[in-house]
Amino acid sequence: MIIEVKNLKKTYEGRVPTHALKNINFGIKKGEFVALMGRSGSGKSTLLHQLGLLDTPTSGEIIMNGNNLVLLDEKKKSEFRLKELGYVFQSYALLPELTALESVYLPLMLLGVTKKEYIKKASEMLDKVGLGDRLQHLPREMSGGEQQRVAIARALVNSPAILFADEPTANLDTESSEVILKLFKKLNKEIGQTIVMVTHEPDDKKYVDRVIWLKDGVIES
Amino acid sequence: MNLKTSFFLAYTSIKRGSKGTLVMTILIMTLAYVNLVFISSIFGGIVEAINKESINNQYSNIVIEPEIDKKYIDNKDAIQLIDTVPGIIASSAHYIDSTSISYDEYNDGNDIKKGKWVLKSIDIEDEVKVTEVHNSMIEGSYLESTDRDQIIIGKEIAGGHGGSLEHLSLGGVSVGDKIDVSFSNNIKRTYTVKGIFSVKSTQVDQMAFITKKEMESVLKVHNLASEILVKIDNVGEENIYINEIRNLGLRNEDIKRWDELMGFTSSASSSFIMISLILGIIGTIVAGVTIFIIIFVSVVNKRRQIGILKAIGMRESTIILSFVVQALFYAIVGIVLGVSFILFVLRPLFLANPLDFPVGWVSLKVTFNIIRISNISLLLASLVGGFFPAFRGARESILKSIWG
Repeated sequence: MIIEVKNLKKTYEGRVPTHALKNINFGIKKGEFVALMGRSGSGKSTLLHQLGLLDTPTSGEIIMNGNNLVLLDEKKKSEFRLKELGYVFQSYALLPELTALESVYLPLMLLGVTKKEYIKKASEMLDKVGLGDRLQHLPREMSGGEQQRVAIARALVNSPAILFADEPTANLDTESSEVILKLFKKLNKEIGQTIVMVTHEPDDKKYVDRVIWLKDGVIES
Repeated sequence: MNLKTSFFLAYTSIKRGSKGTLVMTILIMTLAYVNLVFISSIFGGIVEAINKESINNQYSNIVIEPEIDKKYIDNKDAIQLIDTVPGIIASSAHYIDSTSISYDEYNDGNDIKKGKWVLKSIDIEDEVKVTEVHNSMIEGSYLESTDRDQIIIGKEIAGGHGGSLEHLSLGGVSVGDKIDVSFSNNIKRTYTVKGIFSVKSTQVDQMAFITKKEMESVLKVHNLASEILVKIDNVGEENIYINEIRNLGLRNEDIKRWDELMGFTSSASSSFIMISLILGIIGTIVAGVTIFIIIFVSVVNKRRQIGILKAIGMRESTIILSFVVQALFYAIVGIVLGVSFILFVLRPLFLANPLDFPVGWVSLKVTFNIIRISNISLLLASLVGGFFPAFRGARESILKSIWG
């Protein structure tokens, strides 16, 4: 297992506490392409946020390489996210002042890679997602689908152990959505990239190896 | 913290962000900086004008007065040697007498105006090297060495020249008019007004001058002095020369620097410095708040981006530094433009057209110290003003930043 979840709970405190995740247990194998599906409010995005260390669960364990990631402090979590995890968000999430190339090499810059190397790696990654001719384009000069591919290239440039995608096609038209999902499939097959994707589109099932269904914060199947 | 990434983000944000916002921000910083330097410089100019006025027209650099219980400085040998001290430009000995001056405008014994004023005697050749009163004649001319029955008076004595003590004046004496002077030894003499002077010091404008020879004939003294004004080349080194003068033999005389004698004007100078300091602090706070607002708006607009940067593994410190670098950039550009504007536009303008203040002609006194303190103030204000909103934005949780 590349990642294992044990007794994971997430409760949002308030006048009436909301139990978003209730005792979740599952594991994901290396190289798997997994979809988290369920109706709105089922807890799929909440689960992805816990797995991606974007949020802290109320209790439970998230085990990677034998380490319980929940116990890491904020600095260690930042470092872990930078080195081991990649993210693709629903709405592109690019910095408007950065070109495609700059957006992609930003994580490498944070890792302290040399300029020559980060430009080379970022260019290759953009080429891999089909944007080799868009290196110097700013987000406003690209379509939604192209921006999402830049976000994918950025997520993959530091060779993360797991790529998390939170409804990556929600803001895209059918054609662009298909391009993105095919790209995910290709990356999964060709480089064995482990991918965990939240989606609410039933049609997306055909691209993934396994679907984890959630309902009211509990895994249904 | 990743310095390279912080600078990279700041650079791209400035380079590719809104040009209008950039120009406005830099303009605000430039104005905030000009405000800081201008306030200090104008008050510096006022203080300098006060000091200059005191040195040029009243005290020169050093004033020697008789030792306690003596009316005159009587060490004639030492007096002769003062001018020989290297660095001393000149000295001028005065006799001082409290006099009563009266003016009968219509020579009919009615409506005689009179008052009590200080009358000093001067040695013309020495005096012109030490004070600037000879360049401040508004009517008539300055005394000459041979003058015996002539007097020059300040505008506050003469009246009719817009003085601030007009009600105490002789009510409009003109050059050529005759005035009666009663000396402290009860001798009375009539003098013809040769000139009326006006400097920017009310105290000096309340004085009258006659020649040394004339005063010695009235007081029946010879080669003594009630006070000696000493002019030196380097203002600020008075204490060194005071020691030199004491070594000449004037050991018990009361020797003071000009600034020790300023009294009211000294406290006015201190007040101006205090006001300048208070306005400077307020200006710095305003600059800091301005930067705070600019960076706060930027942080609010980039809230989602901050969340994304944190999500991809960027540390909070790197994000904070990128905003602080931006704030410092605005401050540095503001300083460069502000300094250029002050040195190449404002300062020459004020030098060419000094302001006519009651204390003197006031120009901008832009010193290295004012520039240095203003630079440090603005940089510190930017550092603090940039840090807090950035810190607040960067500390927010990733999910809250991205999804609100």
